[in-house]
Amino acid sequence: MYRQVAILLSFLFCTTLNAHEMTPAYPTLKQSYIDGVYVTKMKLFNRRKEIEYYAIQVFTDDWKSIPFASTSKVIKVGYNRRKLFEVYIRLKDIDKATYICTESKVFKSKEQVTLVSSKICSKIKQDE
Amino acid sequence: MIKRLATIALLMSATSVMAVDSPINGVVEPKCSIWTETNGVYGHPLPYKLSTESADGGVHASIRVDVAQADYYKTKFTHPNSFSSSPTLTDAVAWTGSTIVGQVGVSGMSAYEAAKVTYNNVTEFNMTLAGSTWFTVKSTASYGSTKALPAGNYTAMIVAECIAK
Repeated sequence: MYRQVAILLSFLFCTTLNAHEMTPAYPTLKQSYIDGVYVTKMKLFNRRKEIEYYAIQVFTDDWKSIPFASTSKVIKVGYNRRKLFEVYIRLKDIDKATYICTESKVFKSKEQVTLVSSKICSKIKQDE
Repeated sequence: MIKRLATIALLMSATSVMAVDSPINGVVEPKCSIWTETNGVYGHPLPYKLSTESADGGVHASIRVDVAQADYYKTKFTHPNSFSSSPTLTDAVAWTGSTIVGQVGVSGMSAYEAAKVTYNNVTEFNMTLAGSTWFTVKSTASYGSTKALPAGNYTAMIVAECIAK
């Protein structure tokens, strides 16, 4: 009986779990098809049911924003879906660019709650 | 004789079928997953106070962080210092909050609590071990010292970050 209750509870907890993942942890920038612009590919996995949109950001070592290009600065990722996206950074910025981050965009709630915004940052691998 | 030959032929054909490979490939790479297990809920124990403490009728937020490889990430939790949505407030709100290590997947992770770094409303943890760690985020808001909060819905934002080192 206890085992059945435990299994039921763990199943219920599992179904309400929500996660945000991004890989690789250490992306490498490569020359893109545009002269003077470098590119890297990132992969985002959305297992947060209540989240549909993620903002892409690029930062320096001291968390100052760096200009970049992608298909969109805010991407739509369905529940349990992976999204591959490219981040383009200018040659003059690549020495300063340190972090590529994705941050969940949370919808306004009608309940008395604390909402959790998740943010994952990968560190750009600089050539030695 | 024919029966024996048929058996041998059948065995040979059967073994050749079993030799077909069907590989399942997987890659283990350093990654961090942020799992929001429980969004916190504010209880309203006093007219001027909202709190996630269970004694106040609230629920703390619980966030699990899974790190696939040891010592690749640090995590940062920012507990609220403002409402992201609320009725119009005419007085100041005093905020308190904290982030603590809850359950741990590996016993050595208990040391994260003593090694955490806290500044402003941010708490940082160095994820030196691979596995799952549960973090509990607490938040309390007190309005205009003892002024009653206007009726309505109140929402505050916790930011959970996982940053590659």
